Amino acid sequence: MNFRPTIVAFLCNWCAYTGADLAGTSRLHYAPNVRIIRIMCSGRIEPTFILKAFKEGADGILICGCHPGDCHYQEGNYKCLRRFKLLEKFVSQMGIEKERLKLEWISASEGKQFAELVNEMTKTILQLGPGKVKKTLEFEHLKTK
Amino acid sequence: MEEPRIGVYLCWCGTNISKMVDVEAVTKEVSTLPYVVLSKNYKYMCSDPGQDLIIKDIKSHNLNRVVVAACSPRIHELTFRNACEKAGINPYLFEMANIREQDSWVHTDRSEATLKAIDLVIAAIRRVRYHEPLQKRTVNVDPATLIIGGGISGMSAALEIANAGKKVYLIERADHLGGQVARFDLTFPHLSSAQQMIGPMIQRVENHPMISVSLNTEVKEVDGYIGNFRARLAQKGAEQPEITFGNIIAAIGLKPFDPSVIEEYSYGKFPDVITSLEFEDNLRAGRILTKYGKEPRNVAIIHCVGSRNRKYHEYCSRVCCMVALKFVHEIRAALPEANIYEIYADMRAYGKGHEEFYAMTTHKQIIFLMYDQQKRLPVIREAHRDDDCNMLIEMNELLSGIDIEVPVDMVILMVNMEAHENVKEVVRTIGVSLCGNQFFIEKHPKLDPVATTTGGVYIVGTCQGPKDIPDSVAQAKAAAARILATIAQGSVPVEVTTAIVNESLCCGCQTCISVCPYSAVSYDEIKKASVVNEVLCKGCGTCGGCCPAGAITSKHFTDRQILSEIEGIMSMSY
Repeated sequence: MNFRPTIVAFLCNWCAYTGADLAGTSRLHYAPNVRIIRIMCSGRIEPTFILKAFKEGADGILICGCHPGDCHYQEGNYKCLRRFKLLEKFVSQMGIEKERLKLEWISASEGKQFAELVNEMTKTILQLGPGKVKKTLEFEHLKTK
Repeated sequence: MEEPRIGVYLCWCGTNISKMVDVEAVTKEVSTLPYVVLSKNYKYMCSDPGQDLIIKDIKSHNLNRVVVAACSPRIHELTFRNACEKAGINPYLFEMANIREQDSWVHTDRSEATLKAIDLVIAAIRRVRYHEPLQKRTVNVDPATLIIGGGISGMSAALEIANAGKKVYLIERADHLGGQVARFDLTFPHLSSAQQMIGPMIQRVENHPMISVSLNTEVKEVDGYIGNFRARLAQKGAEQPEITFGNIIAAIGLKPFDPSVIEEYSYGKFPDVITSLEFEDNLRAGRILTKYGKEPRNVAIIHCVGSRNRKYHEYCSRVCCMVALKFVHEIRAALPEANIYEIYADMRAYGKGHEEFYAMTTHKQIIFLMYDQQKRLPVIREAHRDDDCNMLIEMNELLSGIDIEVPVDMVILMVNMEAHENVKEVVRTIGVSLCGNQFFIEKHPKLDPVATTTGGVYIVGTCQGPKDIPDSVAQAKAAAARILATIAQGSVPVEVTTAIVNESLCCGCQTCISVCPYSAVSYDEIKKASVVNEVLCKGCGTCGGCCPAGAITSKHFTDRQILSEIEGIMSMSY
């Protein structure tokens, strides 16, 4: 069967989610692989969310917040960036290619950029192939049984 | 927790959703999920019958959770929350799945879009199961209003509010009130004087006991939330005492497009190529003269300068066609013998009395020449010494298909309305968003064009998009009415999705205090735990995101809710 990648995207309400809505109102077409989860601020993102999404079978994860300086909550995106740097290291330690986790800034006016980002990410994931976390965990689960 | 009883509703949005998503299939697919009592679809869920469907079902099926899959929650979340409340369940026991803006409108493969819709609806169902009722909180409204911008929009709003006996702080960056309109000579389509209109208005504003006007003043910083803002102002760089107010109107206006970037027009190079606003200055001064002090015998007016052109701005500025026709009347009155050329791309006369005005103008012995905006702009070049004019416009006349040269002594460029140069700064101070053309985004493009997604912040006039004087005034008065309504009520509901600390789990590391941008978290030495001040908290969830002990819950965005959403969102992928 053809590989249909799943990308989970965490989008902040004020910039990125609005930008993704704008892609819709502008009828910009992009790959159907992305599944968007709305959070109020990218600062809310916990490492748990990312690990959980990989565990549930995400082949790629996108985090999008406001551009530096534009955060609706002043600086939540910087807090996100700091945590992201650590998370990136952690994820690659776990054997997950770091290209599978991406942080990008998308403003409310960047519907086009969002559509392009999703297409680009989909291409990257298609090249990398399916994520292995879910499969590995299933196998581990069988062994312990 | 009581057993969840979930009602799921899918919206067709006419054909907007239904043509790309098999709504019926999604309805069926999710109907058998745990805790789903019923799943239905309807043509327009946001309509009154759509909402009534939910309300009736909540009552007759004893539902305690509702999911609606439709447009973006940014558009109708509140509509459906209100419907839930009407039916007697807490409005936060509702979740929305965005299957229009983020699904049917962006995909072209119906089966993929349908699978995605199923995923999104399942995610919402999994999430809503863990929603908790939240109690509404209201705050008192400070009856004063801050208006940023003293143009016709800002002044109209100020007078409306002040006439109702409420205090207005009107802040203007320039050294005078009146904005762009103060530069105009006559207005279209009635050719009445802009000065006679704006002059008395400025006086009324300046003399009004309830309006405090600050010229040469900028807003440095705004703190607070709907009903309770405070701001620091700076007048000519010097800081002013802090002011407090309950609502904000942004009326910062526009910036005329700078045509010097269009090489074809040689603006800045040829002194008699001027912008429409510079021409207004001439008209106000009562003389139409070239830079050489002569009356021009040939005047050309070029339309759509910087407008409707992918290289500059794709959008139409709406008013320039009518302003150009207004110029015809003024030039003809002053120079009965002059040749007047309207070099246009399309004539747009959409408004009340505009088409009639266009028809009237065609009797003024002028020559209309059409050019193709997308293919080739007219080119202005210097005339030869023996030509009987200063400049020549080379162009392809679209209707005849012929390349022509138009002799001219003066060229007026109808420049586009751009977003104000100050816009990014204002965005940061008052917390609103910008659209792709750098205009402020309204809360709902049709149903709420004066409010923003930030409570208590309204946008009026050309900072929301190009518009003429009547539209600006209408929007200003609408915003004023909205504000007066909240002042009359005395209190407004505020965000309840704040953070809360579980004191028994808090380890006292105080990381949350260091990340909170609003100083809403403090450390209670007696309890040895962090405490959140709910009035200051804006619900960003950053403290919850970094708490190593998992002691902080971001209400309505709890770990459990988000993790359940993640579990559901990949249901159809494997």
